Amino acid sequence: MRWRTALLAGLLALLMPMAAGADEQGGSVNAREWDQYKARFLDSGGRIIDDANGNVSHSEGQGYGLLLAVLAENPADFALIWSFTRRELLLRDDGLAAWKWSPAETPHIIDINNATDGDILIAYALVLAGERWKREDYSQAASRIAKAILDNTLLDHGGRTLLLPGVSGFRATDRPDGPVVNPSYWIFEAFPALDRVAPSPRWKKLSDDGLALLNTAQSGPRKLPADWVSLRTMPKPAQGFPAEFGYNALRIPLYLARADMGGRELMARLREGMKGDDDALVLSDVSTGAAEASLTDPGYRFVNHILACVLDRVPIPDSVKVFSPTQYYPSTLHLLGLSYVREKRPECL
Amino acid sequence: MKSSIVAIAAVMTTAIGVAGLTDGGFLRQDNRKLGSLTGESQDTPAAAGLAGEGARGAPPQFTEVAQADRPSDEARSASKPQPVVDESALRYFAAKGDTARLQAEISRLRSLYPDWVPPADPLAVPRNTDVALETMWRLYSEGRYAEVRKAIAERQAKEAAWQPPSDLLERLNVAEARARLVNASELKQYETVISAAASTPSLLTCSEVDVLWHVANAFAQTKRPERARDAYLYVLKNCENPPERLATVQKAAAVLPYATLQDLLSYERTTPEGVPEFESIRDDLARRFVAEGDGDKTLAVDPKYVQRVEKLAETGGTASDALLLGWYQLRRDNMSAAEQWFQRAHDREDSASAAQGLALTLIARKAPAEAEGVLYRWRDSSPDALATYFAATANLLAIDPPLALDAAVLARIAAETTKAREPATAQQFGWYARALNQPATAAQWFATALRWKPDDEPSAYGLALSRDQLGDKDGVVEIQRLWSGRSERIARLGEVKELVDDVNRVQQPIAEAQRTRPQATTGTAVVTEPAEQPVAQRPRVTGSAQKAVRTGAGCRTTINPAGMAPQAALARGWCLMDLNRPLEAAEAFEVALQAQASQIREDAAYGQSLAYLRAGLTNKAAVAATKSTQSRGRVDELQTAILADRAIAAFNAKRYREAILFLDQLGQISTRRQDLMVLRGYAYMNLKYHAEARRIFEALAATGNRDAMQGLAAVESSQEIWPNKN
Repeated sequence: MRWRTALLAGLLALLMPMAAGADEQGGSVNAREWDQYKARFLDSGGRIIDDANGNVSHSEGQGYGLLLAVLAENPADFALIWSFTRRELLLRDDGLAAWKWSPAETPHIIDINNATDGDILIAYALVLAGERWKREDYSQAASRIAKAILDNTLLDHGGRTLLLPGVSGFRATDRPDGPVVNPSYWIFEAFPALDRVAPSPRWKKLSDDGLALLNTAQSGPRKLPADWVSLRTMPKPAQGFPAEFGYNALRIPLYLARADMGGRELMARLREGMKGDDDALVLSDVSTGAAEASLTDPGYRFVNHILACVLDRVPIPDSVKVFSPTQYYPSTLHLLGLSYVREKRPECL
Repeated sequence: MKSSIVAIAAVMTTAIGVAGLTDGGFLRQDNRKLGSLTGESQDTPAAAGLAGEGARGAPPQFTEVAQADRPSDEARSASKPQPVVDESALRYFAAKGDTARLQAEISRLRSLYPDWVPPADPLAVPRNTDVALETMWRLYSEGRYAEVRKAIAERQAKEAAWQPPSDLLERLNVAEARARLVNASELKQYETVISAAASTPSLLTCSEVDVLWHVANAFAQTKRPERARDAYLYVLKNCENPPERLATVQKAAAVLPYATLQDLLSYERTTPEGVPEFESIRDDLARRFVAEGDGDKTLAVDPKYVQRVEKLAETGGTASDALLLGWYQLRRDNMSAAEQWFQRAHDREDSASAAQGLALTLIARKAPAEAEGVLYRWRDSSPDALATYFAATANLLAIDPPLALDAAVLARIAAETTKAREPATAQQFGWYARALNQPATAAQWFATALRWKPDDEPSAYGLALSRDQLGDKDGVVEIQRLWSGRSERIARLGEVKELVDDVNRVQQPIAEAQRTRPQATTGTAVVTEPAEQPVAQRPRVTGSAQKAVRTGAGCRTTINPAGMAPQAALARGWCLMDLNRPLEAAEAFEVALQAQASQIREDAAYGQSLAYLRAGLTNKAAVAATKSTQSRGRVDELQTAILADRAIAAFNAKRYREAILFLDQLGQISTRRQDLMVLRGYAYMNLKYHAEARRIFEALAATGNRDAMQGLAAVESSQEIWPNKN
C-alpha cells in the first residue's frame, strides 16, 4: 500500500510541468541551472565529466546526467547523453554498463565491471524519459537494463534481497567478508519505476530490505552506515575499504527523501550523525565516530538542509537556493536536492 | 491539495498521451520504411558492379541475425505513387564535393527508387536550403552522432511537426550501431557484438566488411565456428573488393580450424589474368596449416600444403620453414624426417626451437649424448627447452648398460640438475651410480631427488635399496615408515630381498633402474623408448616368489580371521600392517574389537583406524577411531591424520571452504604443519580471499618455505579491482 502511494506520488511529481519554485523555463531543475551544470560537466559529445577524478566518466555520472536532463525537461540533452552512454558504456554481454571510461585510454573502458547504481540511474532516467516524452525506444532500453539488473545484481542472502555493487567481486564466494554491499546504491525512488518496465516482486523486496539494512547498519557512536558494509554476519564495515561514513553514504538521506521513505527515526539519526557546524556535512570514522572531513560545498550542505526541512520544516537558506557549479559530484547532489524541494517541499523554500 | 495535483496530472497524462501516439505512429511507419529500404536494396545485389556503399548482397544467414522485414511485391506496388525521393544526402555530399559518397548515394537511391532519375550533373544540384538539416548532415559526416541526436531532438522540440529525413535516421542508427559494435568487440563483449549486428542487419553488407569481420570473430570467440564460417563465407560469396576478400581469408585463418578454412578456400575465384585470387597468401596459408598440424597430430593436412612448405624450406632457405616441417613430422612420429628438417634448421640458424626439436629426435633414436650436446647452450631459453634438456640428461644417464660419460659432461649435467632442482635427472644419477656400484653416491642423489620431489616413489625406493646395500638397516626402516601405505615394494623390501638374494643379486639393481621418461610439457612431447614394461619398475618378484611370500610364517597365510580369538586377531592385525596389507589388517582388527578386555578393544580400534588411513579410507578410519575410547595421544594422532587427509581430499576436489574447515579443526588439536598451512593459503587464494592467503604465505615465506614463496607470488599475480569513490 505504502509502495503504491510512493509510486503514485513520484509519478505525479514528475508529470508536473512546472512546480513551485521553478520560476524559469525548464522543469524542477531550471534552464539556467542546467545550462550552468552542462557548461561545466557535460562535454559536447554527451559525456558527463567527473572533474574531481581525472576527468573520467562513469555509468553513475551518465545516469545522473540523464536524470537531470529529464528533471530539466531537456529531451535534446537527454538524447545526447543517452547516445554516448549506449555507444560507449552499454557494452557488456549481460546488458549492463561498463562502469569506467577514460578519455586517455584506448579502449576507453578501463574496467569492464559494472557499478550497479550507475545501471539503476540510467534505467530509471530512461523509464522517466520514455514515459514523459513517449519514446518507446527509451522504455525498451530501460526494460532491458532493468531485467539485466534483476538477473545479475540481485542477491538473496539470509532471507534478504540485496544489491551487489558490481557483478564481479562482492559475493560471499568472492571475498572472506562477502557479501559486501553499498547502502548508497539503493536509489529507492528508482525501484517503482523499474518495476513498471520489468515487473517483478523483487523490486519491492529489494527496496524494503534496503531500508531494513539502513535500520540495522548503525556503526560506532554516530550510528551511521559505512560506505561499504559486509553482511557476512552482522552488518559491519567491509574489509579493504575505509571504515567510514564517506562520500558514498552521504547521499543516502537525499535518496530516502526523494523517495519519500525512511521514517522520522532513521532520518533523525542520520541527521544527528552527519551534521557539523554551519550545516557542514561531516564524514566520520564509523568505528570511533571521529570526524574525518567537514564538507562545506553547498551541494553537500544541501543534504543537511533537506533533513532539517523534512524533519523540522526549517527553510532552506537563501545562500544555497541559487545553484552555482563547483565539482561534478556535489553539484549533482545540489541539483537533485533543489529539484526535490521544489517538487515536494515547496514550504521549505 | 493532493486531489488537485491528481487532477492536473491526469490532464497532463492525456495531453502527452495524444501527442505521443502521433509520434509513435510516425516512428512505426518510419521503421517499416527503413525495413523496406534494406529489403529492396537486397534485391539488387552489387548494383551494376558499383563497389562500395551501393554494393549489397543478401545478409548472411545467421540464425541469430534478424532479417529486416521485407515488404511483399504487392505491398510495394500498392505503395505507389513513389514517395518523394529524399535528396538531402545527395545535396550534402555534392556541396562537399565528396564524389565517392555522392556516387554511392546515387546508386543507393536508384536501387531504392527505380523510377528516380538522378540529376544530370550531380555536383550542380542546389545546396540544401535547410541550414539546420545541413548542420545535421555535417555532424553526421564528422562522426558526431550524439550531437545529431541532440540536434534532431532540439529541432523537434521547437518545430513539433518537423520530422528528420528517414535517410538521416537510418544512417544514424546504422552508424551508432556500428560504433557500439566495434567498441564491444574491442572489449571482447562478443554477445553484445552479435546482438548489435542482429538488431541492425543493414550493417551486414559488403560496404561494411570490417563489421562482418567483427561479427565473424565474435562467433569464433564464442565457440560457434560454423556461424563464423558463414560470416566469412558471406563475404566470399557476395563481396567484390579484392583486398577485402583476401583479408577475409587471412582473418578467418587466424581463428578457424583447418577443415573449415578449406570450405572458404573453395570459393576462391580466378582473376581475369588467370591467377587464383589468394595466390599471394598461399605460402602463408600452407605454413599456417602445417603449423596447425604441429599442434594436432591427428590433423590430416593435405600433402599439397606440406609439399609447398617443403619447397619453401628447400629453396627459400629460412630456418623457420624447416622448423615447421620438423615439428610437423615429429608429431607424426616420422622421426627420421623430423630429424632431417630439424638438422637443416639447426644448420641454417641454430635456435632454441631447432635445438630442442633436434634433441627430441636424437633422444628418440637413442642418441641422448648428442641431444645433450645440441641442447646444452639453449637449455635456459625456455621452460620447454629446459624440460627437453633434462629429458635428454635423464635418458642419457638411464642408458642400459650405463655409458662411460665424459667427466666434464657429467659435471655440467650435475650442475644444471642442482641449479634447476630437477628430480628426474637426480633420480637417474642415483640409478647411474648404483649401476656403477657406487651406492653411497646413489643414496645421495636419491635423497636429493626426494628433497626436490618428496612424493617421488622411485627415488625413495632407490634410496631404500642403496641404504640396504650399504647395510643401513635403520635407514631402510625409516623409509619404510615414511612410505608405509604408499609403496608396496618399499614396504616389502626386506622380504623380497631374502628371496631375490637367492635369484640373482647382481642383476637386481639394473633391473630396478627402469627409466621413467620425463614427459616434457606442451609442444615437446618426449618420445619414450618403445614398450618397456612398466611392471618392471617393481621388484622382480616372480610368480613362485610371490607364492613363497604368502605361504610364509606369521600372518602371510590368507585366512578368514572371523573365527580367531580377539587377542590373536589383534596380533594378526599388527602383523598384516607390517606387511602393508591394511584392508586385511582392518578385518582382523574388526574381530579383535569383539574382545571383552577394554585394552584389546582400544588397541583394535586404534589399529583399524590406522589401517583404514593407510588404505586411504579416511571416513572409515574416522568411524573406527570412535569404536573404543582412546588415550589422548592416540586420539590426537588419529584425528590429525584423518583431518589432514580430509583437508587434502577436499582441496583436491576444489571444495576449498571445506578444506579450511578441516584445517581449522586440525589447528585445535595439533601444532601446525607447514605443508598444511601452505594448503590453507592456496585454499584461501582459490576462494579469492587474497588478504588471508597473503598473510599466511607471508608468514611462512619468512621462514624460508619455498612453497609459501610461490604461493605469495601467485597471490601477487591475482588482482582485484574495484570502483572506489572519492
